[in-house]
Amino acid sequence: MANQTQLYQQHNIEEYFIDKEPFYLEVADEIDIFEAAYAQRVPILLKGPTGSGKTRFVEYMSWRLNNARKRDGRPEQMSPLVTVACHEDLTASDLVGRYLLEPEGTRWIDGPLTRAVKHGGICYLDEVVEARKDTTVLIHPLSDHRRLLHIEKIGEVLESHPNFLLVISYNPGYQSALKDLKHSTRQRFIAIEFDFPPRDLEGPIIEHESGVDRTTAQQLALLGEKIRNLIGQGLQEGVSTRLLIYAGKLIEHGIAPRRACEVAIVWGLTDDHETQASVMEIVTSIFP
Amino acid sequence: MTNEHDSVIEELKKHPSALISAYEAVADEVTDALGPAPALRWAQQGVRIASQGPRAWEAATEYFKASPQVVQTIGFTQFERWAESGIELTAEAPVIAASFFRASPRVLPTLAPRHIAGWAGLGRGLSKGTWKSSSLAARFFDVSDELVQQVNFHELQLFVSLVQTLASRSYDLAAEALVLGQRVLPAVSEREELISLAKVLAETSWREVRGSFEAATRVGNSVDRRLRPRYFALSERLARQGLGNVSAFMVESAQSLGLLPQELQTMVLERAEDLADTSAEAVSAFLRTAPNVLDRISPAQLDTWFGRGLEFLKENPDAGIAYFRLESARAETLLDQLSSSIELEKVHGLLRMYSNALAGTEVELQESTDITHRNIGWVSVEFATTDGKSVFLPPTVDLRDTKSENFAWLKVVTTHQVGHLEFQSFDFDFHAPSAGFNDYREGIAEGLGATPGTTEVASFFDLFPVRAMAADLFSTTESARIDQRIVEQYRGLAPSYERVQNDALASRGPIEMMPAQQALMEMLIRQSLGQSSARIPSAYAAQARQLAGLLRSVRNRDATVEDSAEAALRMYYTLSQVPNAFVPLDDWEDADLSDAAFDEPTLEEIVERLRAEAEEQQEEASGDEYESPDDVDYRGDFKPEMVQLLAQMRGQAEPGEEDGSESAQGISQAELEQALRESTEIDFADDAEVTTVAANMMKEMGADAPQNPAGSGYNQIPHVDEEGGPLEALEPRSYAYDEWDFRANDYRPRWCIVQERLAVSGETAFYNETMHSYAGLIEQIRRQFESVRPEMYRKVKRLPEGEDVDLDAGIEALIDLRNNMTPDERIYWRRNKDERDVAVVFLLDMSASTAEAVEESSRESDWNAPGDPVAYTAWLRARRGETARRPYKRIIDVEKESMVLLMNALETIGDRYGVYGFSGFGRENVEFYVIKEVEELFSDRVKRRMDKVAPLHATRMGPAIRHATTKLANVDAKTKFMFVISDGRPQDRGYSREGVEKEYAVQDTRMALMEARNIDITPFCLTVDRNGHDYLRTMTGDLNYEVLPDIMELPRRLPQLYKKITL
Repeated sequence: MANQTQLYQQHNIEEYFIDKEPFYLEVADEIDIFEAAYAQRVPILLKGPTGSGKTRFVEYMSWRLNNARKRDGRPEQMSPLVTVACHEDLTASDLVGRYLLEPEGTRWIDGPLTRAVKHGGICYLDEVVEARKDTTVLIHPLSDHRRLLHIEKIGEVLESHPNFLLVISYNPGYQSALKDLKHSTRQRFIAIEFDFPPRDLEGPIIEHESGVDRTTAQQLALLGEKIRNLIGQGLQEGVSTRLLIYAGKLIEHGIAPRRACEVAIVWGLTDDHETQASVMEIVTSIFP
Repeated sequence: MTNEHDSVIEELKKHPSALISAYEAVADEVTDALGPAPALRWAQQGVRIASQGPRAWEAATEYFKASPQVVQTIGFTQFERWAESGIELTAEAPVIAASFFRASPRVLPTLAPRHIAGWAGLGRGLSKGTWKSSSLAARFFDVSDELVQQVNFHELQLFVSLVQTLASRSYDLAAEALVLGQRVLPAVSEREELISLAKVLAETSWREVRGSFEAATRVGNSVDRRLRPRYFALSERLARQGLGNVSAFMVESAQSLGLLPQELQTMVLERAEDLADTSAEAVSAFLRTAPNVLDRISPAQLDTWFGRGLEFLKENPDAGIAYFRLESARAETLLDQLSSSIELEKVHGLLRMYSNALAGTEVELQESTDITHRNIGWVSVEFATTDGKSVFLPPTVDLRDTKSENFAWLKVVTTHQVGHLEFQSFDFDFHAPSAGFNDYREGIAEGLGATPGTTEVASFFDLFPVRAMAADLFSTTESARIDQRIVEQYRGLAPSYERVQNDALASRGPIEMMPAQQALMEMLIRQSLGQSSARIPSAYAAQARQLAGLLRSVRNRDATVEDSAEAALRMYYTLSQVPNAFVPLDDWEDADLSDAAFDEPTLEEIVERLRAEAEEQQEEASGDEYESPDDVDYRGDFKPEMVQLLAQMRGQAEPGEEDGSESAQGISQAELEQALRESTEIDFADDAEVTTVAANMMKEMGADAPQNPAGSGYNQIPHVDEEGGPLEALEPRSYAYDEWDFRANDYRPRWCIVQERLAVSGETAFYNETMHSYAGLIEQIRRQFESVRPEMYRKVKRLPEGEDVDLDAGIEALIDLRNNMTPDERIYWRRNKDERDVAVVFLLDMSASTAEAVEESSRESDWNAPGDPVAYTAWLRARRGETARRPYKRIIDVEKESMVLLMNALETIGDRYGVYGFSGFGRENVEFYVIKEVEELFSDRVKRRMDKVAPLHATRMGPAIRHATTKLANVDAKTKFMFVISDGRPQDRGYSREGVEKEYAVQDTRMALMEARNIDITPFCLTVDRNGHDYLRTMTGDLNYEVLPDIMELPRRLPQLYKKITL
């Protein structure tokens, strides 16, 4: 057990801190909500389509909270950000931790969730519906008043560090019925809805992230808005801010705007030729 | 002499008395004409005729009767020859001779005397000594008069030889041909060619002869005179080559040639002749499609297109024929490449999405004819326009040389119309503030004591004494604002936009020819089109600057439609003070107005001016009356007043408004007529037209209201009172279900009875035909579904036994052992076949509204559909004959077809599924048809039931969904789905009529779906209702749904969706 103490002391938690202020523009009151929820340690569910800024928001909030602590002279209170991208083979032990075989015996190693619980981090489970069902066993006791993490393998129960918070994200756009969040899980979180930012906010975001000039950024934002008008009429999902930024990056690197939009946006969005052609017409209208 | 005369009398008396009386009736007249001696010869000839045989006296009688007139016509020498011919004919058969004599008075005046014998000879030639042949010959003489009048002797000879040929087959046919010839030949100028053609045809089929004769008249009407001989020669050539249906060929090709001008006819005919050596079929196909092809490509391009086709034809005749029939993709592709014109139909889907994206609302795209046909005030076919909901575009664009340029034009036009929607031209609010002006509108209305008009726009226009000028100014300003916003926002479009504007500028008439007021208006339009310097009357330079300055002020990003109105108002103030008089050519100057600014008039000045003008108008106006300028074609028809009027009426037609009082006092027909009369947006010929248009508008907007398409069908069926109590399911296979009443926020217990029935069996043909006609798609679907198969065989880990040890689990178990913990035994994995455990039911809407026809337009191989309405009807009839069963596809047919495709796919992946249809009338009779039970195996029985799925009554979705839920609940499966495929909203008596009841149906359906979900059935609604978006959103809440804008997509979409949702 002494070995273990050393281990997690050795662990460089600073790695998890966000040093530089991530670029984030508030769309509504989500920053206040997050701060309030964090103050009360209410777990948070971020809903929204892919590429609408959920992950960036968590990064920003992590930085923002830590920055406030630093300013107040409580750097020891800083809480690391632990992000886990969930996938369909992600099991509970991937989150909690597992034993490793060693020549002389075995060694327990904490999973990311356990670390976050111990160090008062913000644990962000991205696309949580993708994970295997056994993970819910972990999430439930952590996300209600108990704030407990059961580690069956080593027969321990961890009480969360006071700064610990669970944040999960979920994309309701997927229509697959097999990938829906259970109500028993949902109802343990407050939900912040994310949608693509309105045009006048998205422009500056694109401008900042991709480095293109303001006009091009605004044009890209306009393109985003127009394409999203087609959701449900040929498109299953609108173009993400991320894709718009990618297009911006290509343009910044010298690719002609129309071509950049074609490869970054049009082809990525859909395989249907007519829809592609229609979106391309929007592109050629906006970009010379 | 007298003796001789007496002996003649004696002779004549030997025959029946009719003869002698015929003689005596004309004897004096003939004697007078000929003189005594020839008259005796004449009488003796008569005797000779009569003595030729048993019934020869009849011929002689006719001889005497005809004589007086014949004598008048020809000299005695010819007369003798005539009589001589008659005698010969009498020897052949008296009947023939009688006809000959009878016809003579009418024929001889036109027949050259030298042909008299020949004529008689033709008749004799037809006679073969039999009774039938004699009567044919007699018939020939009977019809001769008309023939001889129109047809020269040579042609007559040819015709008779044709008749002879036919006679060798059947005398009846020959006789028919005679009559036909008598009727047709005079009308045809190319008789020789026609007869020659007919002779070839006579070898094979009489029907063809008749057909070709009949077709010949059409040829005369449609084919150019100089080309007709070649045309007939070509037809003959094809006939010799054995073309099956020459007469049909003639009818069709003549008709299609008729659609072409003469020089193109020549060209097409030449090409056709080139083809004749290779394939007769191809000629026929080519001639038929040529006008269609030439509609799309230029004559020069035709050569390229034709040349390629000829190559194909030589390589592979079938391919070549298909090519010329336009039934081959290669032909189409090449045509598309060649054709520079843009057909709206082809880019419709593309532009629709484009418009939707830009406008941010659902915009319908229609051809401009769609709105002109409605006769609700729009008349121009070539102009684009919008009624606020749909955008109407010209059906074809061929203003430019290349396809891309034409498309660019159409895109500009579309963007401009959509721009009115995107930038909210029609949201004009009389009272809303503008962005950059002092708002004068309300002040003026107050100052003039104006009353509000029918619409916001009307209120605005009502302020001005010359409404037309105000409307023109507003329209120009607003269009300029829209153009500006578009060009600013859509920079990629700017170059095309500029080109279109320049073209529009170039087409404007000379400004110096206009009176001053109109010239300044014209100047404004040109400014709005981007012209910087302007030609203006020197005397009104200040006014021009003022106007241009005002126009400039709306051309910025912040300007709204209210700014346009404010600017137009100030423009009106300036322009109305300019007398509309002509300006001498010397008094014009060029001015640069690109930096023009305007001086702000005061509200009082404007009010004063408007009041003065209104009074002035009572008397005589100075100068010419103001006339509206020429339209700018790319801007199309901008009718804000009409659009607002329509929008208002639509709002009125839509029930469910909480505030019932307002909708109750909507626009009446009289008010509407008044509004129309005042509006300058429509030119009415007379008052009756106003009434018609108003009535059409009322009708149309009324039709937008929720209707009961199944209406009469079920309403008359006696039913349990709506207010009645719970029902009992008494009959076998009937089930009672609760219904959700959202008003009471509770269920109505046992409110509906679902009657389950087995669907009627039909034939398996429907299933098989569907499989056949969608063979390509089936292949695609199969591939899609196969691609997911491996997932079904995915490794299942952590099993107590299996194919092999799972390494991860094994290591964990070892670790546990070393830690002295109980290891997990489940360390094996296995490929699990049973992992996929899906049960699904499909509910098909069988309501009456699914009987609605689906517009298939070009989706089927309608390539040879002729454009001409008459020909089209004929074609359609022919096609109906082919399909025999049903001339068009209905929504239900597409539903069925899609289901067939999906069933086929489901069989490959092994999901369990049930298929049910539902309809019904009233709550006590919800019909639930079993097409396939979930546990039933797929068989021919299912195929047969599928065939008979047909539109029935109404749609009460709730109970049907509940019943399906019950069925599915009894199935043991890990995952359960329910697909509801419907064409529209739930509708039934006492379920959905209007207003609140619609809400009732939607809420109940929603509740039924939620119930399903509560027992872990995933419902999915798929609708093909175009307006379904809104109601479905409430109905399905956060449930899954999809609206298919185009029902023809259903067969493709349904399997895709199924795969996506369940895998």
